[in-house]
Amino acid sequence: MKKRILALVMAMTMMITGSIGCGTDKQETKTAEETVTLNIAYQYGLAYAPLIIAKEQQLIETAYKEATGKDVTVVWNQMNSGADINTGIASGNLDVGFMGIAPAITGVVKNVGYKIFTNLSGQEHCMMTNDSSITSFDDVINSENQIALVNVGSIQHIILAKALHENGYDAHALDSNLVVMKHPDGMAALESGSVSCHVTSSPYIYMEREKDNLYEIEEVTNAWTKDNSFIVGVASESLYENNKEVYDALSEGISDAIDYLNSNTEEAAALTCEFNGNSLEDELTYLQAGNYTIETNGVYELAAFMKETGFIEELPASYSDFVFENVTGD
Amino acid sequence: MLKRKDQIYAIFVRIIFIIAVLCIWEYVARQELFGERSNLIFPTLEMIGSAFIRNFTVGYAGISFWAYIANSMKLLIIGLAIGIAASFILSGLSMVSKGFYHIFNLVVSIFDLLPGVALLPVIIIIFGIKEEVIVFLVVHAVLWPMSRNVLDGFLAVPKIYVEAGMNMGLNSFSLLGGVYLPAAMSYIVSGLKVGWARAWRGLLSAEMIFGIATCPGIGMFINQMRTNMNNAEMYATLVVIIIIGLVVQYGILTPIENCTVKKWGMTK
Repeated sequence: MKKRILALVMAMTMMITGSIGCGTDKQETKTAEETVTLNIAYQYGLAYAPLIIAKEQQLIETAYKEATGKDVTVVWNQMNSGADINTGIASGNLDVGFMGIAPAITGVVKNVGYKIFTNLSGQEHCMMTNDSSITSFDDVINSENQIALVNVGSIQHIILAKALHENGYDAHALDSNLVVMKHPDGMAALESGSVSCHVTSSPYIYMEREKDNLYEIEEVTNAWTKDNSFIVGVASESLYENNKEVYDALSEGISDAIDYLNSNTEEAAALTCEFNGNSLEDELTYLQAGNYTIETNGVYELAAFMKETGFIEELPASYSDFVFENVTGD
Repeated sequence: MLKRKDQIYAIFVRIIFIIAVLCIWEYVARQELFGERSNLIFPTLEMIGSAFIRNFTVGYAGISFWAYIANSMKLLIIGLAIGIAASFILSGLSMVSKGFYHIFNLVVSIFDLLPGVALLPVIIIIFGIKEEVIVFLVVHAVLWPMSRNVLDGFLAVPKIYVEAGMNMGLNSFSLLGGVYLPAAMSYIVSGLKVGWARAWRGLLSAEMIFGIATCPGIGMFINQMRTNMNNAEMYATLVVIIIIGLVVQYGILTPIENCTVKKWGMTK
């Protein structure tokens, strides 16, 4: 029996040693060929439209080739949430992620090991209601009206809290009215009357605005406009420190994609409509309604608000703690 | 004497196994095998232990972790009770009526394959946004596997038992209680185990996807911890889930098994 156990342990040790050996071989081969791989995670939706352009037109690969004469392999991973991307970057499996400004701020504060390398887009956000008697927060606070939004601690939740705060209410006054569900489910729940309100972003905001029986609560719309940062790109500190050429190509590729979208919006819509599941006409309208720029706006202001209202535990000293040196904005 | 020895041996090997798993975990965490941010995504046992205490003393957003547990357990118990009762009633009716059996057998085969969370949009439209949606998902998780086991148990009852009962003058319903139920007990206990596990997992999945702030449960707590990158708190919550699972397994299901099928000599 003892011999069997010993044999088993030895076999396992050999397997592990073997696999480590194989890994080293592969690494050596990679180094010899000088193949660089960039792992990028992004999410689904209109706010990520420039990434479809960068991916389809291989803008990062082109920028890297022009700068170094070498090739870079870009792996695009579509993920479900900023929390998943944070874990991916912290574990070293991802180099770059695109997510809402709120999880990005949380990630920097939690020392995941990344900073913002670009802004990507700003979009409108709003709270729609199916009850015409609801005209302000007073009609919802301490009532049984339910508010659907995508997650507790999401950018939509923080915008709602900010709107409350700016209008003289407790930022968490509506926390007990929240129901967590994805954007399409929230829209269906609002239309069917299962919930009274829905805090959402584009394109659902445009679809809901078209319905005659849904009404907008303006305070939320004004709390965080499309001029403010909504989706940002984060890059791991190790990419920035150890592979600056790839980092520069990444920044340039995303910047080129945004320029392309802004100067050739119709062609961009033709490229992205299929991925976003919209008609060409709708896609063009939605892209024109968004604000696509590499300059951040309101990052530190939002982080300070999140600290003040308990969404994050610490606040870094300045804007530069959130972004790499090449990023402009506030 | 031999039985006592076996029990001590069983406890001993389990403790050794748990200690080994904890040692491996601690080694991986301390060596930071997942990179320089390893402790953020793979915390040490000490960090998880502190988070475990913090969950109960501080909670999240002003709500104690006890409240999250109480909400989840309330919905689970209601869902389990409805699911188990319905599975007995419907399986019992299947033994009384052949027509009902054919229909119910088909319904079980269809619905047992459907994941509860996939039905969520339809359920929301039907029920609205209420705690009942999660209760419904728990019932869905427990009803079909439990019914399958009870039905299989009833069908496996030897014909001679049924005929003996009929000769003693038992009618359809008293046959159920006097012959079918005791004879199918090993299947029923097995169904309870499967049903409990499916219900527990179903509840947590539903709460992670669909959280009502007025009735926050353990699944919602996990989701909030993940969103805030509080991974030690998240792992501590998983420990609570495991502890609750073990308490139910060894505190409720095993005694039921010991008092019925084992006592009657139906299983080892």
